[in-house]
Amino acid sequence: MKRIIEGSPLIPKIERGKKIQVIVDDKRIEAFEGETVAAALLTAGITTFRHSQKNKEPRGLYCGMGICYECLVTINGVHAQRACITTIKDGMRIETCKELKL
Amino acid sequence: MIGSYELAVIGAGPAGMKAAITASQDGVRTVVIDSFLQPGGQYFMQAPVEYKPLGQTQTEKTGKELIQQFSSSPLTIFKGTLTWGIFKEENEEEWLIALFGDSETKFIRSKNIVLATGAYDTPIAFPGWTLPGVITCGAALILLKSHRIAPGTRAIVTGTGPLILSVSAHLLEAGVNVLAICESNTILPKGIGHAPTMLSHMHRLKEGAKYMNVILKNKAPYKTGWSINRAEGNDHVEKAFISKVDKKGIPFLASQVEHQVDLVVSGYSLTPNTGLARMIGCEMDYQADRGGWVPSRNEKMQSSISGIFIVGDGAGIGGAENAEIEGQIAGNEIALRTGHINLKTGQERFQELQPRLRNQKRFGKLYGDLFTPKPGLISLANDDTILCRCEEVTLGEVKKAVAMGAKTIGEVKMITRSGMGNCQGRMCEHSITGAIVKALSAELATFKTVGFNSIRPPLHPLPVNFLAEVQKELDVTE
Repeated sequence: MKRIIEGSPLIPKIERGKKIQVIVDDKRIEAFEGETVAAALLTAGITTFRHSQKNKEPRGLYCGMGICYECLVTINGVHAQRACITTIKDGMRIETCKELKL
Repeated sequence: MIGSYELAVIGAGPAGMKAAITASQDGVRTVVIDSFLQPGGQYFMQAPVEYKPLGQTQTEKTGKELIQQFSSSPLTIFKGTLTWGIFKEENEEEWLIALFGDSETKFIRSKNIVLATGAYDTPIAFPGWTLPGVITCGAALILLKSHRIAPGTRAIVTGTGPLILSVSAHLLEAGVNVLAICESNTILPKGIGHAPTMLSHMHRLKEGAKYMNVILKNKAPYKTGWSINRAEGNDHVEKAFISKVDKKGIPFLASQVEHQVDLVVSGYSLTPNTGLARMIGCEMDYQADRGGWVPSRNEKMQSSISGIFIVGDGAGIGGAENAEIEGQIAGNEIALRTGHINLKTGQERFQELQPRLRNQKRFGKLYGDLFTPKPGLISLANDDTILCRCEEVTLGEVKKAVAMGAKTIGEVKMITRSGMGNCQGRMCEHSITGAIVKALSAELATFKTVGFNSIRPPLHPLPVNFLAEVQKELDVTE
């Protein structure tokens, strides 16, 4: 999973937002202002966002538009946030695969 | 004090924007609630505001113009805000609409509501579909078009409809190796019958041709009558198995081909997002060729409940242009009902829109004929395959529930908890219905008799502390 640099007819070139840094599971990763948490995690190579409650199977981004609730992560200590519709902010602390207590 | 409006529009895609523009420009006091940070919906999806585009596609340009018109209309917008409930006491005139977002506003009131909640990719369950790296067309397009991110390097695209062509072309331009594009329906014999309709939709043909060109240029195989049948991997998808499917959607495993992949994009046409319509109690009807359960409406786009209008793909799949016209009809009707335009103007405008609407309906018919997912696709799942992703309910468990006597989706829900999780059944309803129909004989169950998941507020899971605040605010109001 990588950011597209060159433009093309269907995906014209774009200047990204400002470079920012966030902490994902105690590791520092780079992201761009305007990206969603999911976009930043995926480009950092993180695709398992959580494990399912019953079978403990890996889950990640699925619908990408906020309706399937598969991409839940912990953001700044708040559980069960949808990575796909949450805009990333400088200094955000994101935790994947935290046991969810719903 | 709860703000009071003449019209509340839920959703700011093509349908919602057009309804809001039409009504507000006639003087209707209008509020729009959208769950995304920027208007446009899925079709006119914009890049994040923090990004600076150095070029734009035709769709982006058309979208920008509509968004510009929308943003300069005299209306109130709540962005990034979920509508989690719509309530009304019998003796009241106004609906109470419950919101969850960054704003302090938790409730608004409105006499009329336009639901323009769009659609999502119809999920089809196959072994391995819960693995990271298996995503929907919608997810892929958001990453590619809005975030400029290539979601993988080696991909299988599977599903039915024009969206899989769009996704494939975008993936290819992003440098992703698309190993196969599996269109589960066979297009040709039926497609020829629709040639005259296609010819009156030249711009759509052109758009399709543009995607097809990219696909051909890159030699990505477009295989009609094929589908994925399973995906494998440990923490991420590693292998995808594709095979021919018959007219019912049942795979011929003898034709199976294995691919090494890190991405599977899946979208078996679209399902209207009807959660709010169900919650309010609008009469629903099952129409497979329009995406499944759709609300009944009159010609003015009003549902079975007075004051509730439903437009766009959320009322039945028809595409962005159809959505805009439906939005305009509803906006116009509400301007008339609230006394902002007279009967003559209202009727004239309604009549004026009819030829364009009829043309769109012909396209909708073509789309439904060609791209309705086959009911037999439930055969892709085996007994261990998860159908309900939230509650982790397998096909085997659903079959067991049917063996115990369950005949409806509600009964299966009571026995297995399917559809009771965070997504409220949006991801599993199609598969579970298919499983019940398959397990029972045709006389005992159809997609219609199996029914749909009833939806109760909150439509989305809400933080507990937020609910406490809501209670406080309601106590003050009453």
